[in-house]
Amino acid sequence: MTKQVRRWVLPAGIILIGFLLVIGTHFDQALYKTPIVRITKVANGKPIKQVDQFKNVDHQTNQVLEGKLLNGRYQGKYVKLHNTYTTSGAYDQQYKVGQEVFVTLQKNGTVNLIQGLKRDVTLAFLVWLAVSLLFVIMRSSGMLALLSVCLNMVLFFLAITLNLMLHSSYFLLIFASLAVIFAALTLWLVLGPTRQMLVTFGATLVGTSVALLLSLIVMQLTGEKGIYYESMQYVTQVAPRPLFFAETLLGSLGAVMDESTDIVATLFQLREEQPDISGKTLFNSGRQIGRSIMGPLVNVLFLIFVADTFPMAILFLKNGNTWGYTFSMNMSLGVTQSLISGVGIVLAVPMASFLASLLMTRRKAK
Amino acid sequence: MSTIPALGLLLLVVMVLVGGKQGALSFLSLLLNFIFLFAAIVLVSLHFSPMVVTLIFGVVILAVTIFLGNDDEVTTQTAFFASILVMLVLLALILPVEHWASVQGFGMEDSDDLEGMSLLIGIKFMQVSIVTAVFSTLGAIAEAAMAISAGLAEIVQQQPKIATKQLFYDGITVGKQIIGTTFNTLFFGFFGGFLGLFIWYVDLHYSLGQFLNNKIFDAEILMVLFSLISVILTVPMTTWVMTRRIHRVRKNKRAD
Repeated sequence: MTKQVRRWVLPAGIILIGFLLVIGTHFDQALYKTPIVRITKVANGKPIKQVDQFKNVDHQTNQVLEGKLLNGRYQGKYVKLHNTYTTSGAYDQQYKVGQEVFVTLQKNGTVNLIQGLKRDVTLAFLVWLAVSLLFVIMRSSGMLALLSVCLNMVLFFLAITLNLMLHSSYFLLIFASLAVIFAALTLWLVLGPTRQMLVTFGATLVGTSVALLLSLIVMQLTGEKGIYYESMQYVTQVAPRPLFFAETLLGSLGAVMDESTDIVATLFQLREEQPDISGKTLFNSGRQIGRSIMGPLVNVLFLIFVADTFPMAILFLKNGNTWGYTFSMNMSLGVTQSLISGVGIVLAVPMASFLASLLMTRRKAK
Repeated sequence: MSTIPALGLLLLVVMVLVGGKQGALSFLSLLLNFIFLFAAIVLVSLHFSPMVVTLIFGVVILAVTIFLGNDDEVTTQTAFFASILVMLVLLALILPVEHWASVQGFGMEDSDDLEGMSLLIGIKFMQVSIVTAVFSTLGAIAEAAMAISAGLAEIVQQQPKIATKQLFYDGITVGKQIIGTTFNTLFFGFFGGFLGLFIWYVDLHYSLGQFLNNKIFDAEILMVLFSLISVILTVPMTTWVMTRRIHRVRKNKRAD
């Protein structure tokens, strides 16, 4: 009976509580200081044809919305809102009955401006879906993976806060140390404080550093020609170049750890099964395993780094820019990042194999 | 020589040194994926339907990543079918969620980059955001599917008479082994890129509420969550495809 309880009742309970929390975000308007309006009535105007200087055709529509204020001083009051949307919807959107929006109110309680859609319910729903699936299919391993991601997220925010407190003067130092702490913590959570963890940690650090160093040399030699740091998005107080290197370092870290973990784990298992295995055989087996993982891993990062630029690249192309300029201004940084990460992923293969074979055979000699 | 070709050359050299022929193929897959991604962007900008582009190029990118990444027939075929199924399930999830969240196009934080640009380009950014979300998860799906099917192929090779029910259980076990490290690949891959954006949020003192409802933040977090969900789904899906395959092979053998 207790086994049954642990097996089904507990996950079901957690999923149910999560679902109630998602429902809860639907009624959380009182927690917001910004006034929220639920749209109750929509009147759309006639779409007006628009042609820009590049002969792109679009349609613009004016909307008059009516809605009820859900929080704050004027709660319960009905207000009128105005909105304009286009068919492309790059920077605007069509509002519909039932949606909730943040607004700015004037002193007399009339609406000045729609700030944006309330999206927290959607976000909560998707988080709930991911966690529930993880719990049902992966059980405790899934929870451990989640714990590691959550801890890393907390560390990430702490590092950003620390960096801003120091006015970004130690930017690269802070985020390079963060990368080392990330790697140590994550591997410790997955493998525990073992020799295997140390080997994996070493391979990750050496692989990543050597890749960064080699890439820096190549970039120096070529004078960073064709890399447009000015195209970097969301730059505030940190200069684009160090920001780019920090992003590349952190971005590739997970993939390099992933691969080193796989290789080292398999080699340790191999030695367990054949205690007399030679260092050279181990090294070659490591390379064998690594070469079939590295290709897909490089592609994972490439797609994460570059797919993101899709909307901006389309905007560039439709604004009469050439393919070359569109690539330079949107994708050159993502591609450079993928290439540097790729070198790290590849170099981690011999590093992990070498360190594993070295440490394992040395112990044997004793 | 420009820096990007030079770095490309460096990657090619280390890939061949470490991986030999397999390394060269891996480099080729990266190059092809870049070409396909760029072609997809150009086609969408020429008003081809983003949904059709997503489906066709999604399958092509999966095929390139999987078939050039490994040469074991059982592993690659199983991974390929499973990842296409996961992509379709994911699309069925992404479509309603992207409409619900309305995170298409650009946000306030992009306004500097948008200066001087015409936004009235007549292409539905809602659909573009769906293409983006699907493409950014394809690599993760392919990688997870290959890891699971390679693990299962090895088990089948060692125990050719294994019961399909046991194989399903084994697939989940293999999945449990890779889920932690795969999550980390995705977490760092995405969060590394968020560094600038997050410094922006903290620097400009966004409140928790502003942050959680911010268009750009939500667009990015949805992509991370879609990737996590697709990787989780890949585990049972790949196992299921493998058991079907084994089942069919055994049935054919019995018929002979």
